[in-house]
Amino acid sequence: MILTGKIVARIVAICMLGVLLQLSFFSRVELFHVSPDILPALIVCLGLLGGSMTGAVSGFSVGLFLDCLLVEALGISSLVLLGIGYLAGLFRERFEIHSSLVPALLCMGLTMFAELGFGLIQLLFGLDAPLSTLIVRDLLLKSVYAFFLGWPMYLLVRRVLRPALVEDPKVQRRRQPTVLGA
Amino acid sequence: MYRKQVRRRRAVLALLIVGSFVLLTITYGRSSNGLQRGVSTIFSPVQSVSDRALKPARDLVDWFDKTFDARGENSRLKSELVTARTQAVAGQEALNENKQLRKLVELDHDPALASSAYEEVIGRVTVRSPTVWHSSVGIDVGSSDGVHVDDPVISGDGVVGRIASVEGGSSQVMLLTDHESAISAKVLPAGVQGVVKPEVGNPEDLILDFIDSTKRVHGGLTVVTAGWCTQGLCSLFPPGLPLGEVTKASIIEQEAKEQVQVRPYADLRNLDLVQVLTGGSRG
Repeated sequence: MILTGKIVARIVAICMLGVLLQLSFFSRVELFHVSPDILPALIVCLGLLGGSMTGAVSGFSVGLFLDCLLVEALGISSLVLLGIGYLAGLFRERFEIHSSLVPALLCMGLTMFAELGFGLIQLLFGLDAPLSTLIVRDLLLKSVYAFFLGWPMYLLVRRVLRPALVEDPKVQRRRQPTVLGA
Repeated sequence: MYRKQVRRRRAVLALLIVGSFVLLTITYGRSSNGLQRGVSTIFSPVQSVSDRALKPARDLVDWFDKTFDARGENSRLKSELVTARTQAVAGQEALNENKQLRKLVELDHDPALASSAYEEVIGRVTVRSPTVWHSSVGIDVGSSDGVHVDDPVISGDGVVGRIASVEGGSSQVMLLTDHESAISAKVLPAGVQGVVKPEVGNPEDLILDFIDSTKRVHGGLTVVTAGWCTQGLCSLFPPGLPLGEVTKASIIEQEAKEQVQVRPYADLRNLDLVQVLTGGSRG
């Protein structure tokens, strides 16, 4: 991804919109008693399109913004989301994405990873209450929602960031061939 | 060139990880800081607008969710829901709001509130935490409306939680289901006292802990806030506010664990309007 001022502005807008949508909409609706969490999937999409550094920085920033808006201890969401952004980016750098299922599957897997990460950090800091087994249902359903939301989200983010994507076949098709000596 | 790039990437990653740990160490267990106050103040109007704009969409998803729930129950409920479908999107927003406000007004006449001279501030829920590990909601009233940290928050059905942090025009409410929440409560009419704590991950169940195992509690009994005051130290909640209903109270659990299960009256997953009790004589 070629990062210009405009592209960075677009990424910032995507992240802010994602956080606001999560807090005002997705966190407040429930399907089968579980609310979807789109933020890990959004960071995975940014990591897949922009690489490990874009993923990590976006994850850190989104986590910081989220914790600021929720007035919770800063750093927990940043740590978890930067981790999944980096992992998604690393996947893109190491492997070619041939199947359209890859973004959705990665969104699912890394959302589960993120939820486990939140839980682990919380357990490390100590829980003052007993843990319900329903937390497993929450974890699994959030991952399933991420699978279904991941693919449209990936397409949408890719569309917004298209000018910066060097490997986008549509961009390559439009590019004029270079004629030597012309 | 490639190695330099890799080194730079690793440095940025390390910086971000260290930054996260530093932030965590500095802010964990403390009240809101300047950055959070600033961001919260700037985005509070945006959240309020997006909350209102997205309400019809939320209602639509809620309708789907409720329809799925009802499908398993019986055909009568199913047909009722189909009839309700036409009303749901267009009129439900206004009806729900009206219903909640009516309940709040009814709760104003609760003797528990009347005697403790509380002032009620009505707030609208604007944001909700996305993870089950922290159960909190943001509301659109803050210190400029007279809201203070630790003020009790109720809905038309019962206790919702307490104020965890306050900004100028917004506040965060720690719900009953947050793992840090604990409220002294008593079972009516038996008078058995205990502490209501959540079971993390399960918003439909609370645990009444530390009860006197010699006194028997059975399902269906009402649990209210105990509201105590001793040596100048008072409970944050006034006495007599409805908390929930005892659902499961096996004698074995009462004897061994000294706890019973309670279902909260307030629907903590679908909060829209809440009431903050400011001032008043606590306990």
